[in-house]
Amino acid sequence: MIAGVNRFLVPRFPAVNERARTVEAVAAGVSAAGASALARTARAGTGVAVDGLRVRFGAREVVHGVTVGFHAHRVTALIGPTGCGKTTVLRALNRLHDGRPGVHISGSVRIGDEEVYDPRADVRDLRRRIGMLFQRPNPFPLSIRENIALAARIHGLWSRQDAAERTEAILREVGLWEAVRDRLGQAPFLLSGGQQQLLCLARALAVEPDVLLLDEPTSSLDPGTTARIEELISALRDKMTIIIVTHNLQQARRVADEVCLLLDGEVVEQAPADRFFQAPADERSRAYVDGRVG
Amino acid sequence: MRTSLRGARDAIFWTLCAGALLLVVAPALAIIGSLLQQAWPVLTLHLLTTTTAVDGLQNALLGTLVLCVGILVLAGPIGIAAGVYLAEFGPPARSSWLRLGSETLAGIPSIVVGYVAYLVLDEELHWGYSLLAGILALSAIVLPYIVKTTEVALRQVPTTLREGAAALGLPRHTTLRRVLLPPAIPGIASGLVVALAISVGETAPLLYTVGFSDNNPTPYLFQHPLGYLTYVVFLNATLPTRQEHQVAAAAGVMIVLILIVLIAAGRLIARRAARHAARMAN
Amino acid sequence: MRARQRGSAAVRAAAAGWPGRRRRLADADLSRADRILRTVLLVGTAVPALVLLFITAEMVLSALPALIYAGGDFFTHQLFTFGNLYATGQSVAHGVRAPLGASYGAAPFIIGTIASSAVALVIAVPVSVGAVLALVELVPRPVQPALSVFLELLAGIPSVAYGFWGVLYFGPAMAQHLYPVLTRLGVVLPFMRGPVGAGEGLLTTGFILAVMIIPIIASTTRELVRTVPALAREGALALGMTRYETLRAVTLPYIRSGILAASILGWARAIGETMAVLMISGDLLNTLPANIYSPFSSIAATIVDLLDSALTDPTGMAVHALAAIGVVLLVISLASNLVGRLLIRRVALGALPVGRGI
Repeated sequence: MIAGVNRFLVPRFPAVNERARTVEAVAAGVSAAGASALARTARAGTGVAVDGLRVRFGAREVVHGVTVGFHAHRVTALIGPTGCGKTTVLRALNRLHDGRPGVHISGSVRIGDEEVYDPRADVRDLRRRIGMLFQRPNPFPLSIRENIALAARIHGLWSRQDAAERTEAILREVGLWEAVRDRLGQAPFLLSGGQQQLLCLARALAVEPDVLLLDEPTSSLDPGTTARIEELISALRDKMTIIIVTHNLQQARRVADEVCLLLDGEVVEQAPADRFFQAPADERSRAYVDGRVG
Repeated sequence: MRTSLRGARDAIFWTLCAGALLLVVAPALAIIGSLLQQAWPVLTLHLLTTTTAVDGLQNALLGTLVLCVGILVLAGPIGIAAGVYLAEFGPPARSSWLRLGSETLAGIPSIVVGYVAYLVLDEELHWGYSLLAGILALSAIVLPYIVKTTEVALRQVPTTLREGAAALGLPRHTTLRRVLLPPAIPGIASGLVVALAISVGETAPLLYTVGFSDNNPTPYLFQHPLGYLTYVVFLNATLPTRQEHQVAAAAGVMIVLILIVLIAAGRLIARRAARHAARMAN
Repeated sequence: MRARQRGSAAVRAAAAGWPGRRRRLADADLSRADRILRTVLLVGTAVPALVLLFITAEMVLSALPALIYAGGDFFTHQLFTFGNLYATGQSVAHGVRAPLGASYGAAPFIIGTIASSAVALVIAVPVSVGAVLALVELVPRPVQPALSVFLELLAGIPSVAYGFWGVLYFGPAMAQHLYPVLTRLGVVLPFMRGPVGAGEGLLTTGFILAVMIIPIIASTTRELVRTVPALAREGALALGMTRYETLRAVTLPYIRSGILAASILGWARAIGETMAVLMISGDLLNTLPANIYSPFSSIAATIVDLLDSALTDPTGMAVHALAAIGVVLLVISLASNLVGRLLIRRVALGALPVGRGI
């Protein structure tokens, strides 16, 4: 079965292998810091393969057998009109539907070569490896410091000794350090919405995910923070697989390497972003891109 | 003409409503006023330094406080546990049955609770008049309130926090302790305040379970009766002399004072909770 | 299309390998500590339900002998006596032994309980609703919390304090000033005729019970009124309707079934009230009330009043007899609570105060 999925992934997405080769080629002549970042990148990336995913809420099926692959080290935008099931698909990837009554899920979701819905799967570790950023910032009612360190400490990634240092590093990475360095002990609710969302991103990055799910992460934010988050997405691509749900075609154009259009719970087309926007293969994609649908 | 008729009807109706509001405010003032008036001559420190064996209330006040502590120790943890289960863990079908059970328990008249507690605990188990029997009976009465407020307080914590914690792979007990409980604590505390307010005012479930004693509370759970304030109000109101009525009123005043402190505490807690909720909603 | 087919084959293969997936989905992320915690919490959650079952079972079992002894007379006879507890002979009925002369007719208690709580309800419902409407519509917003304190006070004042006030102040005052006036209504309503007595009786108890259940009905109504969409009300006002007409047309239809439910819950509380009734009712056994001012006794008050002497019955039947009237109280309480709660659930009011209006 593992072999089957790999076969399924490889021929349709040759870009994965290409990218890995490029990285190896450049790795020779760069700075020390750059080298370590690239070494991480060179590690075989973790793609996500969704196969025949169906999600039913009670009697109503909203996702009808979605099959789609998300490449390692690429940004894939899941687009489509409101209610097309893109958020539902996204939340199925880290089993966020699990607790909800009346939900029935079938099909296969694989991260790397692990089945997400395997009953023996360690759901908490899976979720650690699949970070998520939500539509609206949802910082915990803890101090800024604890917001970032809590999960990393629980998962044993950070020790008491290095927590401060690593908190600083991660806050610097998302560009929040200067704004919060003097109030790490305070609650995050006095930060602006954009800063809160960056904090949530930092919180997600602290547990070193292989995959990052973004559910319309900038829909409630100002243009400045939106640009900042898009920048970060582009930079993070080197470390992880990124899947972004957005209703904003401009955003998809700006950040995505790959685009997947969902209509009424079904995949209409998945293609590299350039091709999707310039010459969509499906008539419905063309209509959607031109603004005639949705 | 028609308009003025409509206006008159409007005026009459709202006057009646205002009258109704007066009928709500007046009895509360009248009761507290009459208690104060009766109790005034005896409201001295003497009440706190002597027991009901003489003409004070020391044993009754201490007994009431002991019962309150008992409620906090016994009903508090059980009620909070139940509320947490219903809000965070219970499968919907099972939860709705358990919730119905708890809410229906709140509908059982307190005398029935007291009667069963007396028959089973004091008589069949031979506890005699005992503090523990009283605490158990009161707990059965106040549990549903603690369960309900705990569940409601947790449900008001935004789901996005649960999802955020789940998406980080946090275990549920960590999520509960670090993320969900802190914002819910004011709500839970106000439930405990309500439980205390009820406990302070109950009489029927205590009459036959803890009995009454003119002595100060003892450290024994079994075989020792206990004095408490409401009993003094009840008994002395039915006795003939003015002196006895005054002590009854003084006990009533003490209960009302405790009640006012509890209501104020409840308000303070609620205000804190509202501030917290506002911050979380951003 | 080919990809889709391949996909569904994979689904079947995968699904076959997930035994019991549906059941486990919800708690697959629970750690060992989570599972232990959940079990502990479940035990706590079972406590109220188990206590409910235990109390109900204990009451019914305890009541059975007396119910068998009394048979149908239980509901129709007026005489409730434990009999001669010191006599050597025994009365036997339906195969059950009781002290000589024992008779367990509960009609006066049942009627007294229902009558006093009905009087309370007739007074409390309009007053509660009117007061809440005045509070919400007439009182400036900053003052509202201050007035709401009175609802909390009424809910919190112990029933013995109500009894104290009722028996020493309110009852005598009513008997002296209001009740003689009310007897004039006796021309139309026979039960309003005198004599008015000293102020301990049905009507006084009804008044006091009304005040005691006002917080339940009022606080629920207040929450209900807050759920009425402002837009609908403003729409009606914009049409030129007076505030009273807006209320009739928009607000009342919205909250009507909620008020009914709250009234049922208030009624359930009134019938279970013990101490205040014991102190104000006049505590008259074995007689049906002659008019609305008559002394009477309720089930709850009688249990407290007679439990002492019931314990001296060597056959134990007296205790069973009190349990029997207690069961009647319990059944009425539970039934009205269930009905009230189901109604409330229909109008989808989440935060209903449990039982009292605190």
